[in-house]
Amino acid sequence: MKILKNMIGKKIIFLDGATGTELQKKGMPQGVCPEKWCLDNQVIISAVHQEYIKSGSNLIYSCTFGANRYKLEEYGIKNVRAMNRDLVRVAKKAVGRRGFVGGDVGPTGKFIEPFGPLLFEDAVKVFKEQIAGLLEGGVDFIAIETMIDIQEARAALIAARELTDKPVFVTMTFEKDGRTLNGTDPVTALITLQSLGADAVGCNCSAGPTEMIPFIRSMYKYAKVPLIAKPNAGMPKLKNGKTIFDMTPVAFAREGKKLILAGASLVGGCCGTTPSHIQVLKKNARICKAKRPILKSLSAVSSARKHLIFKKQSKSFIVGECINPTGRKILQAELRNGKTSLIRQLAREQEVAKVDLLDINVGAPGVAEEKMIREVFNMLSISASSPLVVDSSKVEAVEKALRIYPGRALINSISGEKEKLEKLLPIAAKYGAMFILLPVAKSVPKTFKERKIVIQNIFNKAKKYGFTKEDFVVDGLVMAVSSMATAGVETIKTVRWCTNVLKVNTIAGLSNVSFGMPCRSIINSTFLSMLEKNGLSFVIANPMRLKRQFSKRAEKLILGKDKDAINFISYYSKKTALPKRAEKSMTLEKKVYRAVLDGNREEIKDLVSSLCKTGATEQDVVHKIMIPAINQVGDFFDKKQYFLPQLIASAEAMKVAFEFLEPRLKEKNIKTVKKNVVILATVKGDIHDIGKNIVSLMLKNHGFDVIDLGKDVSNDRIVSEIKKHKSPVVGLSALMTTTMVNMKDVIGEARKQKLKCRFMVGGAVITRLYAQSLGAEYSQDGVEAVRVAKKLSQ
Amino acid sequence: MAVQIFDSISIMPPKSDIYRRLGYVRESAVLKKDHIQKTDLYIEEAFEYIHLKGCALRVPAKNIEEGRTSLENGMSFTSRDLVTFLSGSSEVLIMGATAGQEIMNKINSFSQNNDLARSVVYDAAASEIVDTALTWMMNFFKRELIRLGLCLNQRRFSAGYGDFALENQRAICDVLEMKKIGVILTKEFLMVPEKSVTAISGIRAQAES
Repeated sequence: MKILKNMIGKKIIFLDGATGTELQKKGMPQGVCPEKWCLDNQVIISAVHQEYIKSGSNLIYSCTFGANRYKLEEYGIKNVRAMNRDLVRVAKKAVGRRGFVGGDVGPTGKFIEPFGPLLFEDAVKVFKEQIAGLLEGGVDFIAIETMIDIQEARAALIAARELTDKPVFVTMTFEKDGRTLNGTDPVTALITLQSLGADAVGCNCSAGPTEMIPFIRSMYKYAKVPLIAKPNAGMPKLKNGKTIFDMTPVAFAREGKKLILAGASLVGGCCGTTPSHIQVLKKNARICKAKRPILKSLSAVSSARKHLIFKKQSKSFIVGECINPTGRKILQAELRNGKTSLIRQLAREQEVAKVDLLDINVGAPGVAEEKMIREVFNMLSISASSPLVVDSSKVEAVEKALRIYPGRALINSISGEKEKLEKLLPIAAKYGAMFILLPVAKSVPKTFKERKIVIQNIFNKAKKYGFTKEDFVVDGLVMAVSSMATAGVETIKTVRWCTNVLKVNTIAGLSNVSFGMPCRSIINSTFLSMLEKNGLSFVIANPMRLKRQFSKRAEKLILGKDKDAINFISYYSKKTALPKRAEKSMTLEKKVYRAVLDGNREEIKDLVSSLCKTGATEQDVVHKIMIPAINQVGDFFDKKQYFLPQLIASAEAMKVAFEFLEPRLKEKNIKTVKKNVVILATVKGDIHDIGKNIVSLMLKNHGFDVIDLGKDVSNDRIVSEIKKHKSPVVGLSALMTTTMVNMKDVIGEARKQKLKCRFMVGGAVITRLYAQSLGAEYSQDGVEAVRVAKKLSQ
Repeated sequence: MAVQIFDSISIMPPKSDIYRRLGYVRESAVLKKDHIQKTDLYIEEAFEYIHLKGCALRVPAKNIEEGRTSLENGMSFTSRDLVTFLSGSSEVLIMGATAGQEIMNKINSFSQNNDLARSVVYDAAASEIVDTALTWMMNFFKRELIRLGLCLNQRRFSAGYGDFALENQRAICDVLEMKKIGVILTKEFLMVPEKSVTAISGIRAQAES
């Protein structure tokens, strides 16, 4: 084991190539269980292993890719452990002392919570069962490969780590777009897996060597561990309707060398590769030197789909503080009822406000925190992309969250209290989490000097678990200036020392500083600016309220130069809001026209009202401004300059204006142009009515009196409504071939009853030809429907 | 083989497809920043209300010829277009996906409450996202099939295309047990929730390299 551990990352190691396709060439039929077939045909699988060893592979994978409980069950096989053990023994015997044997662990084919129904612990159990067999057979290392789900890769890695100290490799499969099917990119996967204890990380399958180069290159910049590349023999190609891998060994080796130069030090092949591919690759790469990992540690966190590297930047990273029930009664009630919808909403709002990380605290009286934090982490792992911060005072809750979280989280926080320190540090180390170092021991140190001692003490203890300076962030410990005038200064000193002397990242819970003061946002933002000048890396704040302002008065207050805050309070208690900047000059007529064009529903009513007050008649507003404006919109839509949401926003702005103008027109007894009635309906059996709703809105804008009968309307009802309203125009919509036939029946019945109305039809499956066959007009969209309705009304 | 259920399909919203569905043409469009922001925000909101689930089943083919596709599980479809599409396949992959009911409730609610613009974006987003779920499932199977020396057709075919009648939706939904992912079929063969899709694709052996 030591020999292998010493090899990896220091020299180029050659892995094997494809096993499945080699077995097929040697007679394995389709549809059989490959693992079972190999046990029954040990000579053949031994030959495949030996051919790879002869071709130069240093490491080969046992033929156990699908030997997990779920995959074997598909073939009615139950002896998982024995099968893995025996297949490893076959491989060991075949390889002898000429190479190392890795226990191959492939995906279960099931999705694991939070991405699927399989419970995380069940997945860990299934992998443990397989890995126990592999270890019993005597593997030299574990190779977890072809993972598309970072959570499944984690489950397998945790299972391996809980059973053995032998090297564990993990490779993921990335699609052409550079993400796994579940949306994880290479660097995110690397950060999560290397922090969780993988000895080597990389990519296999799906891509050819050329496509894999950028993945490896992007990983290498952040890798603490050696990188693996096991590409296919090129991208699969279609030939006569069949997929082939046609990259020759020479071409594969040429590109494979580039993979080594990009940073992969363990190279081999996947689908379509053969012993020849490995042989030529090795020959070509003989002059290459292994690129060792450049980093010893990395300050970074990740979620399932995103990572964040904590490099120095002028503005601090924002940790959203809103998911915390302290002082939030509604959130407390939700949590007590076991609900998470408000948390989901708060996460979304903070992400829209460009938060970098989300702090998650669900501790409140009456809340089962361990259960709830697991549920919330599961939910947010899917619905939020920002990496999460687990904020809990309960050790058990922290562990639950870290175990289930498909990323590298940040713990808020680990303080110097002996008992917690001893419990939390090993948990953080096991799951590879970063943590916020809270410089608090038995009491809260008020001065920087006291804090410095606590920080050094915690750091020394963390080092024993393998933590480096990059793995934690020091809390500047913000206290209220209203209760301690020097509070701001002590925090600034702490942040400055951590940045310049200790050279670690820092964090500050901003809002504490202004507790009990007026105009808190000004104090907070000034304090933030002062801290950032001294090197602050993270700020815990409400991103929706975070402002970037600076006030000299607030600065004096924070620096303790404003005795009892008298100057600040007297100035800001008088301060009134600044008058709004005068709007640019534009006539009201133009503003109304513009409001229709821009779909400005919010302001159009006030604009129209103001215009009427200047003496403009309601009729003129409608006919000289609004109708030309909506016609212009229709024109833009026809020319594809506007797309559907713009058309509808404009139509809705018109509607708002009409709702204001119509009662005034009636009041003044002004007769507008006589309105034509149009009946609209989505025919029987059809429930898709959004297109019909658009047509309805557009017709109303153009002065039609629309009677909208809704969706799934019976033929009889449509006919009786036509009779009742004597409507000259009827619009029918249908989306499906099975429901569009009802149009024919409605039109037939109307004709039978000698109704003089004219029909227009539309919907996804309707064509101009079909409309003609019904004796109806066709309209493709809302704008055309207006033109057709006008034509039919004449 | 048993129906494989995907309880939570995780994809990124296909924004360019959603914009295209909404009539956006890059060459001619005149879009203000706030229009883009609003549309993007609506897409993000819609994504929140979409809960993608899927189900899929591999079935060996018995006979694919003369306008008829017969499968080993007893299913059979009459469609010349489907036969052309599946020609050479040894198996078929039948799949279904849904965006769930919550997004439909939101679409209807905004449509009825004077926010048709939002409703239309939600509608387009749901349609494209549920379609992307099928692509996601195909990619999932492709990866597995390649290792078995098989490959999946790049495209898919749905009931309602060409002469493959929508009525076939009944057999497809039944065999996929779409009820398990919350999808039912109306008398008119419409799936409820509305943003649900089914499709068929062909599986064949890989050619030798």
